[in-house]
Amino acid sequence: MECIVTVELGTNAVRVMAFDLQGNVLGTTKATYPTFHTEPDYSEQDPEQIFITMLYVLKNFLTEKIHPGGYRVISICFCATMHSVLMVDKNGVPLGNAIIWADNRGREEAQELKGSAMGKSLYESTGTPIHPMSSLVKMAWLKQHDRERFKKTNKFLSIKSYVLQQLTNGYVIDYSLASATGLFNIHTLKWEQAALDFAGIDANRLPELVPVFHTPGKLRNEFQVSLGLPNSVKILVGSSDGCLATLGGGVWEEGKAIITIEESGAVRIIGREVVADPEQRLFNYLLAENCYVSGGPTNNGGIIFEWYAKQFGDFRTAFDVEHTMQRLINDAAEVPAGADGLIFLPYLLGERAPIWNANARGTFFGINIKHEKKHFVRAVMEGIAYEIYSIGKTLQEHRTINSLTVNGSFASIPICAKILSDIFRLPVSIGRNPDSIAQGAFLLSATELGIYKSLDEAARTVVLATTYQPNTQHSKVYQKYFRVFERLSTKLTAEFEELSNLQREA
Amino acid sequence: MNQFSLQQGVTIELEQFPHIREFALQKNATIQLNSFIPYTAEYLQIFCVTDGKFEWAIDQREYVLFPGDVAFVLPGQRIGGSKGFLDIGAIFRLQIEMKFSESTDSSLGSWSTLSPADQQSIERQLLVNNMAVLFQVKEAIEMLQQIHAELMAYELGRVTRVNHLLDSLLIMIARQSTRQADSRRDFPRTFMKLEQALRNNLAHQWTVEEMATLFGLGTTSFTERVKHYTGFSPLNYLINIRISEAIKLLKQPNVNFTDIALDTGFYSSQHFSTTFKKLTGYTPGEFRKRSVPNDTN
Repeated sequence: MECIVTVELGTNAVRVMAFDLQGNVLGTTKATYPTFHTEPDYSEQDPEQIFITMLYVLKNFLTEKIHPGGYRVISICFCATMHSVLMVDKNGVPLGNAIIWADNRGREEAQELKGSAMGKSLYESTGTPIHPMSSLVKMAWLKQHDRERFKKTNKFLSIKSYVLQQLTNGYVIDYSLASATGLFNIHTLKWEQAALDFAGIDANRLPELVPVFHTPGKLRNEFQVSLGLPNSVKILVGSSDGCLATLGGGVWEEGKAIITIEESGAVRIIGREVVADPEQRLFNYLLAENCYVSGGPTNNGGIIFEWYAKQFGDFRTAFDVEHTMQRLINDAAEVPAGADGLIFLPYLLGERAPIWNANARGTFFGINIKHEKKHFVRAVMEGIAYEIYSIGKTLQEHRTINSLTVNGSFASIPICAKILSDIFRLPVSIGRNPDSIAQGAFLLSATELGIYKSLDEAARTVVLATTYQPNTQHSKVYQKYFRVFERLSTKLTAEFEELSNLQREA
Repeated sequence: MNQFSLQQGVTIELEQFPHIREFALQKNATIQLNSFIPYTAEYLQIFCVTDGKFEWAIDQREYVLFPGDVAFVLPGQRIGGSKGFLDIGAIFRLQIEMKFSESTDSSLGSWSTLSPADQQSIERQLLVNNMAVLFQVKEAIEMLQQIHAELMAYELGRVTRVNHLLDSLLIMIARQSTRQADSRRDFPRTFMKLEQALRNNLAHQWTVEEMATLFGLGTTSFTERVKHYTGFSPLNYLINIRISEAIKLLKQPNVNFTDIALDTGFYSSQHFSTTFKKLTGYTPGEFRKRSVPNDTN
């Protein structure tokens, strides 16, 4: 029987999944790789370790699960996190580690560009908010502060471009990932000259732009042998994690939005046109031609709840964070909606959408003498959800949203999905396949193979499982508290800045 | 207990223990300026407070110590009073010769009955946890009192007992430093420490036992957690890092295959070549030719 394999190069891990041609999951596996923080603002990953980990886990998966099951792999579709920058020399040898999305070294460059007219026009042409995450900003930083390496660089790649080059040959980047670099014009589908000038490079120092359905070349012979794959196996360049999570969540037509909350989170919609936000709060990434994924990302998703659990949870055995979190979830369920007036701003990691303030910090607000430990847990969960809603609300200024799909390890916790439904006052469905990124990659491959006529048709096949309806009583409570939350998130700007400067000095 | 001071080469009680540089119980009744100016430790120093409150700077960090607290200072680290003097109170002070090194030789010397692997684990743990002060370690005072009693009594088995007690003290300190590290709540963070330890000494023949001690876990539950978290068994994760590092070296011309193999922890260039080919489909030679086309090596 024939099958499709998806490879997702995520922030912490590579996930490999296999589907039969009807979309049933045949198996899944993952393996992690580390992020190095050699300086406070730095987040880097070793491209060789990512490549070897991917190869290792793919080989094990194929030999243990796919080949013995009698399945023949017909295509492998790739997907990766956005905004990474990897420099390679003329032989394709990496010049140091890859700089990933979470890296903030370009803080000052971003701030300067964002306030300028050039920044505004670059945002409009490229769809990428001006922020240290943007590849453009990272390259501007490198040009200024790491000149030797910048000069030696033959190509500026993304991590996925590097992995694909290792497996096949060419240097390529798909439209989706390109649209998150800040260098790609999402209207003309070409590298944007003004951005190239700002970064100080020519287009030939970037990989070749290709559509998401593109095949960069044959899998090299050596890998065919070591992975036990036929010469005919098709390597599909694929898309970005954000775009594929949207597709895999079954979001296609207008009126639908998807909330993803893993460690970080995002709210996304899909449309034939970009969302032009005059305040530059939302991104517009390209899934396919005339198909834009728009929305906003938050730094502070499930990672904040996990932080709380690690600090204040009741650990019965060493390292057992899963059960600790489960007990906290049970505690939170005992507290009424609104946490009896305790409000939490979850900005422990600074924040992106909608306030785009790297200096923002976490805050418990409104503590009174009756609040117990469990109120704090509830407040943390609600604070994460309020933040998601503030992104959703920004989107609602531009588009109507009638229903929501949620996915990701944090958002699919039943109590979280319920809180989201109540805060948004909208029905919320949870996808059946918890891994909507892989699901999206499957739909992309299946469309490429002609199983579906279009991505539109593919997305309609996504089956949603549980649905929650909003509770009117709870919604009213949340609406009142959200107004305070929203005001606090901007009211403290001066204090956030002063305090984060003090923290940096400490 | 009365105060005492045993100094190597001065007091006769330490004659059979050349590795103990100093062992003392000091009761300090008055504050004297400049009585504890920061200095760089030559030996492993263990302090234990029995009375009073001490404010110290160890390795550039400030600590306040109360009775039952233990401070240990590794050779090369700095220690002194925060204000340059010794506070009022009573402390045990023990200095032991210890060589911190990357080599596989034992760091303590022949007096210790700890296996070389245990000695290395203790050493690594003290370095990795980077925690100069352990709070409320009641056993420490008892052990130090026992060492003193044995030293003074001259009974049968005196040398063996004192050395055993020193071993026990070191084990206790290493274990306590792992327990106290709040890393026991944060697997990913502790795993990052392991990752760094592995990368710092990739040529070392790591065992699962050694790795597990960094987490204060038994090997079974350690292996389970590593598999759950990384997707690999501990040893396969290590191979993963070894191959990644080897690839980087292969991409530099002029490093020969045997050096690459040994630096990254393979037994031989043959072992390296087999493992490499099995995973990547390339021999190291073919791989280098592909990556560095102009190389003539």
